[in-house]
Amino acid sequence: MNLLLVGCSFHETPIELRERLAFDGGNLPGALLELNSRFEYEAAILSTCNRVELYLARLTGSTPPDAELVTEFLADLHRIPLADLRRALYQRADADAVRHLFRVAASLDSLIVGEGQIAGQVRAAYETAQKLATAGSTLHALFQNALAAAKRVRTETGIARGHVSVSSVAVDYVRQVFGHFDDKTILVIGAGKMGELTLKHLRELKPHRILVTNRSPEKAAVVAQGCGGECVTWEQLDDALAQSDIVLSTTGAPEPIVGRKRFAAVLARRTGGAMVILDIAVPRDFDASIHDGDRVCLFNIDDLQRIREQTLRDRKKHIAPAEAIVEQHVKRFLQEWKRRRNAPFIAKLMQDFEARRKAIVTQLLARLNGKLSDEDKAYLEGAFRLLQNQFLHGPISALSEDPPGRHTLLEALGKLFRLEE
Amino acid sequence: MPLAVERITVFCFAASYGVALALEVWHHFQPRPIQRLLSLVFGAAGLIAHTAFILVQTLPLATPQGSLLFLAWILAVFYLYGSIHHRRLAWGLFVLPLVLGLVVVADWLPPPEGDPVWKSFHGDRVWGLAHGVLVLLAAVGVCVAFLASVMYLVQSHRLKAKAPPGQGMRLLSLERIEEMNRRAILWAFPLLTAGLLIGVALQWQRGSLLEGWDSTKILGGLGLWVVFAILLYLRYEVRLRGRQAAFLTFVAFGLLIVALLAPMHPFAQGGGPP
Repeated sequence: MNLLLVGCSFHETPIELRERLAFDGGNLPGALLELNSRFEYEAAILSTCNRVELYLARLTGSTPPDAELVTEFLADLHRIPLADLRRALYQRADADAVRHLFRVAASLDSLIVGEGQIAGQVRAAYETAQKLATAGSTLHALFQNALAAAKRVRTETGIARGHVSVSSVAVDYVRQVFGHFDDKTILVIGAGKMGELTLKHLRELKPHRILVTNRSPEKAAVVAQGCGGECVTWEQLDDALAQSDIVLSTTGAPEPIVGRKRFAAVLARRTGGAMVILDIAVPRDFDASIHDGDRVCLFNIDDLQRIREQTLRDRKKHIAPAEAIVEQHVKRFLQEWKRRRNAPFIAKLMQDFEARRKAIVTQLLARLNGKLSDEDKAYLEGAFRLLQNQFLHGPISALSEDPPGRHTLLEALGKLFRLEE
Repeated sequence: MPLAVERITVFCFAASYGVALALEVWHHFQPRPIQRLLSLVFGAAGLIAHTAFILVQTLPLATPQGSLLFLAWILAVFYLYGSIHHRRLAWGLFVLPLVLGLVVVADWLPPPEGDPVWKSFHGDRVWGLAHGVLVLLAAVGVCVAFLASVMYLVQSHRLKAKAPPGQGMRLLSLERIEEMNRRAILWAFPLLTAGLLIGVALQWQRGSLLEGWDSTKILGGLGLWVVFAILLYLRYEVRLRGRQAAFLTFVAFGLLIVALLAPMHPFAQGGGPP
């Protein structure tokens, strides 16, 4: 196959070195073009915050890509001592490289197993190589199959199910309660740093209105300005609660600010539907007993953390089925590759035998001209065709059983049948 | 008429719906796209057989079996539409048991006698048909409201237990389920009212306004109307929502079943209004 992978990842390489090795929009095209023009390699580079991997290929029959040359190239490009780089980089060839990319794309080699970004990053790496024409037939087939395997893993196993960041889990809960947000009001209580990311996610839902309140009006104004919300005074908290559908509470108050009794009064004034309270303050701002899963859904930081951990645990259960799918795709890809590699040889072998058979049959029929009926001629031609098929059946079957990455049998058959000239 | 179509029995489509439901259950525990696809294929096959059965067999709407099979047919269309529209949701897990239940109950009941629905499209029997169709469509609304209530309680239970959002049964949001319940009731109530008014007018035309008022079917239908009226009042005047509205919808559904299973309709017994 002549495929080589050279790279490093979070598993063994510290972030300092990964940062130095990383490719960005600036140096990525240059590196790809140079690998392609200087070494005549097909090249694609996968560079993320957790890994930097170079996928290199050459046409079957030519010399395989040289890992040492690639290491020297990287050392030179990133100005890293060659010895340091040799220690940090791993190499995989042919089937191992295929398996590695398929696992990476399926998010089985990720820091958080099942994370959704990596498949997009693999696709981006492939598209860049495609745009710069540094991906040839080998890398086209490799990346397309890797992405297909990743898609199947995501759809057929639960490895990507659920979210693993607290803010995403919070938004998931909000989505379980509300179906549309253009008529919803979000109330932000406090100005805690913890809530920033959750608020960012909530804003993506495009709510009708955002209200912000804080004991300090100045802090409320800053948060409101940042999220395009309106300030309400701390004294108007109960009114704001009665008007709101989603509440994000992140105060630093030492004790709960809304107890059961106070909330019951707020609830009595509400005219809208259900209410979701995301209490991510520590200590908690709302009395946990107000949660009923019907009119009021309250989720605090412990609930969200618990779901995050549970999701991670559940994802682990899906690793084995995901690995099985990847292995199935790897096997299929290698078999298909072998078939494609052998196809020109088999066609040539068939053509050669076809020509020889036809020549012999023509010669024979010319000799026996007038002595054979049309039926006899057809029988004779059929017998020669059968002989040809039976004769070629053995070599062709042996060729398809030949392990990938070896060309011994192919070369031997070429020599035996004089197909090289 | 082709022979194969005439051979279709209730068992044929009940079995198809049953297999579709089994595949939905399997998909719930081991989600794979193929199970969902096969479930849709079996559901669609069941619907085709069901349609052919209704077209070929004589099914009078006024009999328990006829009304149950018509109701199940409309709900099977609702199942198929919902499954295609909400591909990622556990739609079939809720709708198919009801469709299957109605079909199985219809099969236990004595076979209907009388004219098929479309033979009533002439003369003064049109009003009888209009009464039957309106009540049937109202029954569809009650069933949809009932399904929405079941979905609401399941989703609400999941939220109360703080179950992981991305795992387990996938359902519409509480808001959308509540909207489905509200719309179904809003559609069903005027249909039921119109259907019942036509029924009263037909009774009056027969000169026997008070005859048959004590029949389970009529009492069930009237009870259903009263529950609907209460439900609408509570929803819009008292702002009753959520679980309480769901439980009240269950009462309406129970009355609907009583009305549907009641042995015989006075119109059907008398051969329809004159």
